[in-house]
Amino acid sequence: MTRDNVEAEVGPFVAARERRVHIIQGEYYVSDDPHVVLTTLLGSCVAACLRDPIAGIGGMNHFLLPGQDVPLAGGEAGSQGREAERYGVHLMELLVNGLLRSGARRERLEAKLFGGARTMEGLSDIGGLNAGFAERFLRNEGIRMIGGSLRGDQGRRIQFWPVSGRARQVFLSPAQIPPPRPSPAPKPSGGAVEFF
Amino acid sequence: MPFASALRVLIVDDQLTSRLLIRGGLQELGITDIEMAADGEQAFKIMTAKVPHLVISDFNMPKMDGIAFLRAIRNYEPTKKSAFILMTGRGDKELIERAKQHGANNVLAKPFTVPVLKAQIEGVVGRLK
Repeated sequence: MTRDNVEAEVGPFVAARERRVHIIQGEYYVSDDPHVVLTTLLGSCVAACLRDPIAGIGGMNHFLLPGQDVPLAGGEAGSQGREAERYGVHLMELLVNGLLRSGARRERLEAKLFGGARTMEGLSDIGGLNAGFAERFLRNEGIRMIGGSLRGDQGRRIQFWPVSGRARQVFLSPAQIPPPRPSPAPKPSGGAVEFF
Repeated sequence: MPFASALRVLIVDDQLTSRLLIRGGLQELGITDIEMAADGEQAFKIMTAKVPHLVISDFNMPKMDGIAFLRAIRNYEPTKKSAFILMTGRGDKELIERAKQHGANNVLAKPFTVPVLKAQIEGVVGRLK
């Protein structure tokens, strides 16, 4: 039996070559490498795992919308809610565009969403707002949601294999939940004027 | 000084969510004559039927990207005078330079706030009232 045959048949050889890429809040990563596994820790944040199964390309982001006034049903929101949405849309767009640049096709994209937990009693349900935003984004953009796990009251550790689309979730104890970082408001210089 | 309500604006972005958010921002500024297109081809058809004063277009789009769309506008006599703001999540200097060379009037880096959107528009068409 050649080494290639052994590797084809014995999982641990493949697992040993796995390259783990950890995604933190505000980041995204796209890969077509079957040995890459994307990981993240989620409390009220949401991670979108997107993949084109034909092209064998996938990616993950990790976001927390700034502010709390995010419309859940696509209706009118205050201006703070719309700023939060712009930030969320930007992070989703970075991931989608990253996939398209790598050869994925928009109409083939499928998604798994994770996170959006209500991790602290008594506070407003920021996790639910993040989850609602992500679901609405997929619906608006016609991206099929094929799985995932949203809301609840427990944090999650997520692993996502971007080429196969396999995802693995482990619930965390309250002590393991990452504390939310300060809300990442849109960068003040983000829309800097470039007068010509 | 242009009246916001008299300004005709065309939004071009392949993501519906983005188009709706930009439209919401424009409406906050008092702009009501707004059309939307999902790509450069569709936008060009709309423009040739009804020429807008201002085009706000994403760069990263399928079929025809924002620069190719800009070139098409500038090379067609009826549309060549429309003001053009290019939106980009990249904001790199090379892209900004290309946009400038092809006749963009301004660049808007995503994500942006409504005050920034207002400043960008006023930088092109003058103060809105």
